[in-house]
Amino acid sequence: MTQEVRVTDIDVLVIGGGLAGTYAAIRAKESGANKVVQVDKGHVGKSGNSCFGAGVMHVFFPEQDDLEDRVRRLSRSLGYIAQQDLIQEHLEDSFQILGEMDSAGVDFVKGAGGEFERRPGRGYYPVVMFRGFQLMDAMSKAARKAGVEQFNKVMMTGLLSRDGIAVGGVGFNLLSGDFYVFESKATVLATGSTWYKGLLPGQRDTTGDGYALAYRAGAVLSGAENNDMLANLMPARYDIGPGMNKYVGEGGVFLNATGERFMEKYNPRLKERAGLRILTGAFCMEAKQGRAPIFMDMTHFSPDQVRRLKEVLPLAMAMFERVRIVEGDQFVKRIEWMPCAPVARPGLMVSNKFEASLAGLYACGEATSPQAVVTGLAAAATSGARAGRYAVQYAAEMDSRLLPDREQLEELKEVTYRPLQRRDGIEPDQVLLLLQEAVVPYDSLLLRDGERLKAALQDVEEIRDSQVPLLVAYDPHYLRMAHEAANLTLVAEMHLRAALLRTESRTALREDYPYMDNEAWLQWVLVKRRDGAMELWPEPVPIERYPIQVERSKILHHLWQTAQDLRMVTIQGGRVRWV
Amino acid sequence: MGVRKIDVALCNGCGICVDHCPMDVLRLDPETKKAFIQYIRDCQSCFLCETECPQSAIYCLPVHERRMVTAW
Repeated sequence: MTQEVRVTDIDVLVIGGGLAGTYAAIRAKESGANKVVQVDKGHVGKSGNSCFGAGVMHVFFPEQDDLEDRVRRLSRSLGYIAQQDLIQEHLEDSFQILGEMDSAGVDFVKGAGGEFERRPGRGYYPVVMFRGFQLMDAMSKAARKAGVEQFNKVMMTGLLSRDGIAVGGVGFNLLSGDFYVFESKATVLATGSTWYKGLLPGQRDTTGDGYALAYRAGAVLSGAENNDMLANLMPARYDIGPGMNKYVGEGGVFLNATGERFMEKYNPRLKERAGLRILTGAFCMEAKQGRAPIFMDMTHFSPDQVRRLKEVLPLAMAMFERVRIVEGDQFVKRIEWMPCAPVARPGLMVSNKFEASLAGLYACGEATSPQAVVTGLAAAATSGARAGRYAVQYAAEMDSRLLPDREQLEELKEVTYRPLQRRDGIEPDQVLLLLQEAVVPYDSLLLRDGERLKAALQDVEEIRDSQVPLLVAYDPHYLRMAHEAANLTLVAEMHLRAALLRTESRTALREDYPYMDNEAWLQWVLVKRRDGAMELWPEPVPIERYPIQVERSKILHHLWQTAQDLRMVTIQGGRVRWV
Repeated sequence: MGVRKIDVALCNGCGICVDHCPMDVLRLDPETKKAFIQYIRDCQSCFLCETECPQSAIYCLPVHERRMVTAW
């Protein structure tokens, strides 16, 4: 029999134990909150994506960089539908945050004079580096030192609300199965984005839980269709994690099946160091034309370079050694490389104070929509810090504490344990496999077409209606996997529906709508649950309020333009035809 | 998918791997007080257990357990 554990009198409840959540918790405490509780279904500092950060951080250096240029570049890479004011604040905050992380004990690579060293990475501006993955050890320790109470192995399954105001959440413990009730004045979601448990080691625990919590609680989400990155790119046949930024920074090249260094034609200036969106697009176009598999070649690296990689990416390099791709200080083989599962980020639509549409609910890091917070550790930290601070301000302004509604609590409890009550049903892994088959192939969500999106959506609806209701769990571990499968199914539905609604190529390529349409589509796609159904609608980006403007015209997407120039495609009847 | 073995001769039952596993794959045997792989299917090959084990008792290999659904 499971017990009910109540954690009461919380000022700020933070859900998620990555960098964004940890920063929110630290800042909430520093800003005067009495009781800050951080919950993670794994272990704070050991889960999500942050702890596997590949040693690279994109920080704005006020004395060296041009702020307007960086805002322009980020806005452009987000397809001009960025919340530019938030992007600018992030850049402005990032240097100070870098200093704070340095003081907290994060081991950054520095020059002889103690200054942060900057090296070329992916993108235009050089990056700062840190060693290995002790970043989150240092930050998690800083949170505990600040007085944050951390609850590990507790998976959140519902948000509590009272008259449209968030008042905490519920979940269960993965070891004991106990039911947990957290009563808080303000709640911060920091649960990251998701990759459908696809090809990307270390990132299969981010399963869109925060999106599902927020959606079910009635909050408005946005950006489901246009991720700030469509997918990462990874070794295809091994579970060896992030590091591409460093490999291409050192001069790693991509070769297609014919041995051609194809990035020279897609982006002659940056080549492999082009943005992820361009790289992913190029990979998909090469595959579409039958020139996959694609390989990363680092066999030309000098022993010095390999040793440098071992210093910054000790784990990945050790794994390359274990499968005999690296021998001594030499890459001896090319490595097959591939886009991971698509990134899904139907994040919370947040105000300039990182507040969601539900009062008392905040979000930071990749739990927000992609137009609000860029991917990466620096933005996780800056958005976390702001969300934490604003959440405390909100909590302080609340005169009295709203207690959870007993009826809602009982209902959430019943939903939480439902898969455990079934005697037989469908295992979470089976549901996951079916879901992956719908959304992971590159011509589903990476290279899009209306008919294929509709077919994938049909598959997902079928999973939603006939598989998810039968999910079975044998113990609390399987219960977690069942909730994750259900959450991922919900995320996939938002992803595909939003992708269908956006009838243009902007942050993702559509074969049936190859134009970037700045006349009709300087809009966000919002999604919300209304009367039990998923409702999606476009809402104009208030671009006239922002510093970076864009011409209101309809132009062929630059990657389709490149493909046309290279005689790979023609545009006929308003759609792409492959040559 | 990555965790291959836990050497029971080296394991001292500290439980760090159980606590830190992001995918909740490992458990401590209540009788032997040794860690064991309970849910191999859910391992995500992050190698945290291997890197964090103070006894170097855990060995991982970066290969997929089942055929992954991939982009192509």
